[in-house]
Amino acid sequence: MPLNIDFVQILLHVLNFVILAGGLTLLLFKPVSKFMRERRERFEKEARENAENAAENERLKAEYEEKLANVDEEIRELKTAAEQEAAEAAKNYLESAKQRGDEMIHAAEQEAEARKSQILESAHTEISELVLSAAQKLVEDTEDEERTHALYDAFLLQEEEALRRRRKA
Amino acid sequence: MDLSQKKGRTVFMIVWGALIVLIIAAIIAIGLPSGKSETIKEAMKDGVLHEENKVSFFGLLVNPAVVSAYVITGVLLLCAALIRIFAVPRFKDVPGKFQSVLEKLVEFFEDMARGNSPHKTPVVAAYIFSAGVYIFFSTLFELFGIQVIAENGHSIALPAPLSDINAAIAMGFLSYLFILLAGIIVNGVKGGLRVLKDFSLPISMSFRIFGALLSGLLVTELVYYYTALSFVVPVIVGVLFTILHAVIQTYVLATLVSVFYGEAVEPVQSKKDKKQRKE
Repeated sequence: MPLNIDFVQILLHVLNFVILAGGLTLLLFKPVSKFMRERRERFEKEARENAENAAENERLKAEYEEKLANVDEEIRELKTAAEQEAAEAAKNYLESAKQRGDEMIHAAEQEAEARKSQILESAHTEISELVLSAAQKLVEDTEDEERTHALYDAFLLQEEEALRRRRKA
Repeated sequence: MDLSQKKGRTVFMIVWGALIVLIIAAIIAIGLPSGKSETIKEAMKDGVLHEENKVSFFGLLVNPAVVSAYVITGVLLLCAALIRIFAVPRFKDVPGKFQSVLEKLVEFFEDMARGNSPHKTPVVAAYIFSAGVYIFFSTLFELFGIQVIAENGHSIALPAPLSDINAAIAMGFLSYLFILLAGIIVNGVKGGLRVLKDFSLPISMSFRIFGALLSGLLVTELVYYYTALSFVVPVIVGVLFTILHAVIQTYVLATLVSVFYGEAVEPVQSKKDKKQRKE
């Protein structure tokens, strides 16, 4: 062959390169390439997760801030409601106290009235008993003639006096 | 203090100068080295054709490039295995220096594959990674200048495998077959035809890499042939024709393979779209 071209040697070179290519691919290229790919994928995944986490954090933060703002509002509302309630309760209490007081006063008045009438009645009875006993005494006393006359005279005098006063008037 | 410093420098200068003179004298005394057993014409011709200095490879008489190729494969696979066993399990999220280099290497080929061939990227990425590593290290391999004894008794330095036309043809045709196969698997007959219309690709790929590396080999051979050129010049030549070639050829082949692969596995479009794309 011209130029010393030799097919056996060409095939030997081909065989050599096939062995080399297979070995290098298996031993060096694939492991390194795989390592790099996995690292890149892991980093990309981490970056993605970080971005997601950041967004989530941002969202939570906004949510909390909103909640905090709402909490102020809520506290104010609750406070107002509590104040109103307290005022209401105080008012109710006062009213009920007043009502009870009125009732008590009323009851006391009634009781006093009852007592008064009772006392009057008892006084009445006593007076009549007194009058009765006095009358009885008087009747017992009239057994003396002289004294009866004197009593009549005195009575008549008294009546006359009273009559005169009435006329004058 | 000042005096002793001055003295030390003087001693150094004298020793250095004496050493240089001694070496030059030795070279002149010995005359041209034993490499002269073959003339420069023979050496250059053998550099291109490898007709003379055959090496035994498991009983088969082959060009030294075959031995180079297998040595490189062995060393690279060993290194890869060691890296796989000891380095890869200890990879960290924040890479160290060594891990950074490995990652950068893989990333470079992956990015190139992705850029040139957005469809079915992983396969071509692995292929151009392997091809790139092979071309780069096999070209640098020349720098080590490992000596072997040829069948005819000459001592020769193992060349870069791809400076042998057989290795270059193997590389070019294998890459073409890889692209063709990918085209057929992904797009059926249409994909295969698409690749076949670039029938000149394997030849151009083969001879590009062969020519590039051979030029380096010839210049290096020329430089080393003359002892007088063995000072300083090999450093420049070595850098120019070895390291730069290693990088450039790796880049070129990886780009070409990924571009043509990308075209082969691209989803089949209508004729109008195709025309527009070509323009």
